[in-house]
Amino acid sequence: MSGVLKAFILLLITLGAFLWIGASVTSLTGGEHRVSGEVEISPEGGETIFWGKGRCFTCHSLGGQGSAVRCPNLGQFGSKFPLPIGARAHERAKERSEQTGQEYTATDYLVESLAKPDAYLVEGYKNEMAIVYAPPISLNLNEIKAVISYLQSQGGELDMAAIETPTELAKGYFDRILAASAAGGGDPGNGEEMFAYTCAECHTIDGTGGEVGPDLAGISRKGLKFIADSILTPAKKITEGYETFVVVENDGRKTTGIRSRETADEVDITKATGEVVTIAKIDIQEITEDELSSLMPQDLTEALTVKDYQDVLAYMMMLKDE
Amino acid sequence: MSTPGISKRLAKRLGIVSAFVLLALIAFQAQALEPNVYRQFMGLDSRKLIWFIAQLHLFFGAFVLGVPLFAVIIEIIGWRGGDRRYDKLAYEFTSLLSVAYATTAALGGLLAFALFTLYPTFMGYMAGVFKDVMFMYALLFFAETFLLYLYYYGWNWLKGTEPFPNSVRLICKVLGIAVIAVGVVFFFEGFGPQLRGDTRAFITLLYFFPTGIGLLIIRDPKSSHILIGILLNVAGTGIMQLANSWAGFMMSPAGVDADGELTGSLWIAFENILATPIAMHRMLGNLAFGGLVAGAYAAVKFISAKTQADKAHYDWMGYVSNFVAIGALIPLPFAGYYLGREIYSNSAIMGNNMMGGDFSWTFIIQAILVGSLFIISNYYLWSGMTRIPGAERYYKYIKWILGALIISFAVWLTPHNLPLTGGEIGAMGGSQYHPTLKFMGLMPAKNAVINLIILSTFFSFLLYRRGNKSDVVPISQQGKLPKLIIPLAGLVAIAMVGQYAWYLLNLDPGELDLPADRAQYFQTLAHMMLVQCAAAVVVVVLSLQDKGKLAQGLFMAVTAFNVVVFLGVYGFVIMEKASPFLRNVAVAQFLQLISCLILVAAVDLFLFKGAKEIGQLKWGKMTVRSQYSLLLLTFIITMNMGLMGFIRSGLRGDWHIFGIMRDTSQWAYTPSNFTMTLQVSLTVLVFMVGMAFMFWLGSLAADQGKENQ
Repeated sequence: MSGVLKAFILLLITLGAFLWIGASVTSLTGGEHRVSGEVEISPEGGETIFWGKGRCFTCHSLGGQGSAVRCPNLGQFGSKFPLPIGARAHERAKERSEQTGQEYTATDYLVESLAKPDAYLVEGYKNEMAIVYAPPISLNLNEIKAVISYLQSQGGELDMAAIETPTELAKGYFDRILAASAAGGGDPGNGEEMFAYTCAECHTIDGTGGEVGPDLAGISRKGLKFIADSILTPAKKITEGYETFVVVENDGRKTTGIRSRETADEVDITKATGEVVTIAKIDIQEITEDELSSLMPQDLTEALTVKDYQDVLAYMMMLKDE
Repeated sequence: MSTPGISKRLAKRLGIVSAFVLLALIAFQAQALEPNVYRQFMGLDSRKLIWFIAQLHLFFGAFVLGVPLFAVIIEIIGWRGGDRRYDKLAYEFTSLLSVAYATTAALGGLLAFALFTLYPTFMGYMAGVFKDVMFMYALLFFAETFLLYLYYYGWNWLKGTEPFPNSVRLICKVLGIAVIAVGVVFFFEGFGPQLRGDTRAFITLLYFFPTGIGLLIIRDPKSSHILIGILLNVAGTGIMQLANSWAGFMMSPAGVDADGELTGSLWIAFENILATPIAMHRMLGNLAFGGLVAGAYAAVKFISAKTQADKAHYDWMGYVSNFVAIGALIPLPFAGYYLGREIYSNSAIMGNNMMGGDFSWTFIIQAILVGSLFIISNYYLWSGMTRIPGAERYYKYIKWILGALIISFAVWLTPHNLPLTGGEIGAMGGSQYHPTLKFMGLMPAKNAVINLIILSTFFSFLLYRRGNKSDVVPISQQGKLPKLIIPLAGLVAIAMVGQYAWYLLNLDPGELDLPADRAQYFQTLAHMMLVQCAAAVVVVVLSLQDKGKLAQGLFMAVTAFNVVVFLGVYGFVIMEKASPFLRNVAVAQFLQLISCLILVAAVDLFLFKGAKEIGQLKWGKMTVRSQYSLLLLTFIITMNMGLMGFIRSGLRGDWHIFGIMRDTSQWAYTPSNFTMTLQVSLTVLVFMVGMAFMFWLGSLAADQGKENQ
């Protein structure tokens, strides 16, 4: 037998072993999970999402189905989980009500668990759950509702009315998910952190932050496009009162900033750093509005990653008027 | 040697393919905002079709990028050592390259057509963002083609060793120094666009420095041929880096807004966070792959060889190929760790999905493959000791090394959570984790054993090197060179480890979101690294006092204790008390291990230099089994490349471009591991058959060349 033929036989044996390992592992982990296209808000639709696109199965098992143990088993499993999640949600909701003093229904508990998983963790588990409405999972609201109906049906009663006509608490979370989806699937939690780290130096929300830029409380009413444009091309549309002025003094000194106060004798110019410069009008040679520039950094898109940008957008879309 | 007729046909084919690629790029404009369009070819699954073609292209691409690296290293060794065998070997592999090169280009063209026709929206968008880079890619492709032909056809033309006039040498030296100086200035951000440190280091170390060194060494026609080889690799690496920027961008897009519009300089999109870590990983992977494919060629030739002379030649060829491959294989896990860390930094969800989600079991399969690579490499070295008279003195160590490798292998592939039935969990007292095995599945254990595997492989290599040497040669009698090199290696080791110890001593726990009292864990690690620095000083002193063996043993023992035993256990404490610090522990392990490899290898270089040989190496006196192990290594690394490609690409989930362009096709789901093994197996099979065909073509051309002579 030639060397090439022997090598070929060895190759086939090696690939055979590789295929056997692949088949064994796939069989151990529950087969291939295919899903694509839209699903209905129903337990069947939720099941498709749970074992497919939602990737819930990578962390949760359901009784004897699946092999993941990182997060709580959502079925009936051993002494730790005597009730499946549909029934367990009622108990958890009671505990949550006692803990917060706010009335929780079983559906509220399930909605909260998906929208804000760190709100009420199962003892012995860390918050390792992904934001399911942000990339890469990026479930839309209907898909999340479908998963909730699937979880309700696990040992409990399916309550579509509670999903379609949510309580105030659940509606708040649904709004959060909608806002995030509208912003391209950002994570509002991370967006809030990013905002505090970068934007809050100049902008205020609920009384916290700098005063160089406009107060952003309730900014979501202006719509996603306005917010996106304001971040990407801040000079395009400047909020009234925050126009950029250039003051040239008689000695040639130039100061650029917002005209934050003006009296008969003097003008206050707030610079991008927050520093306020008071200039006597008598010393001013010229004061002009620079319509082509904004005090906001022009290179934010370079400083922020795409993900951070989407997260900040998602956060801003949640800033509604009280 | 291939005939000019073949080369003309290759060049023509290459030209046609390149022209079509360029036409395709021009034809499709950016259409990012339109809904995604998907098409099918003959009703086939478009994703699997693209997967197959892309993986095949990558295999051939890795070969044509890896082999020139391998060839130029071999050529330099032959040139420096005056050993013509190395030169012949480098030439033999380069001759195989010219056939593979055209196939790679043809596959690249096929891939481009398939992508543009089956995924027009996605490719239109990519071409819109990266149009400049794509043109640069095409131009570099021409540069690589011309350099490859110059390198191959100029081999005999530039084989002379008559020195060039002094003026020419002086000009080359000045140019070389200038290029290196420009590289240094570039590295320290003296010019160029705003780039991250890893990209600057990559460009400096792989473009500026090799070119500068290539110019510095020019003294005769042969050395100028080496420069052409270096430039060929620079062009090849450039092509790889450009293409990696697209793959990286798909995982970690940058420089574009949420609609995918380019908002800033193209550099930002080009130098996205994962582009360079992927390029570094691929670079080492290509070198190991190139070496092992060359080794497989030698193995097949050995198995078929009829004469002892042929056996001896191909045995030696296999040894050299494997040696180069192991050299690249040893740092590869660290490059992989760096890439993984950057993936985590880019997106924790992506990172979790990688190590603990969809791909956790894929990583178990990968552990089986990588562990096999190391064990089989060791087996090949041990088999090689049978051809070395005197090496039988070291056989007694093999069982211990094998034991360490097997235990490490077992730990490495143990998953954290086992898929268990309710009954099995009941038998374990209701716990979902095995009481002992659960620890084996965590990072501290895995980091410890991969370091032990590398250290054991290095130990095997040391035994192999000293196999036929009777005894050490006192370093004190070897002139000035060891007195310069060993302390220099010691300094490098101390600088690597010491700077990190200093960093840890001054690290603010707040930077890792840890309370202030956690600084004690940083300090313990820093002090342990200072012990390693002290050990390095002792090693240098002992070596210079002719106690090199003791010095090597001491440093390897200290490293093994620190990296494997101490940090293997202490890692769990850190995981419990200061989990975010765990990544720093891995860096500390890597630095100590690398410092050990550098210093011990430097001492070893002189320890047996000119030592009396017990007997001549009996090339060709190798078992046939050992040649099958070389073949297995090649198959496994190829399978592993396919598997890693699946993970890298699959991490995006159902996104073409993570967070920007969603995959809305019917194939937007993560395939199972079985689908992966099926797809990878098919690609590996086609690739291996293709390589066998090319090797056969190469041998035909070689036979014709002999006849003509």
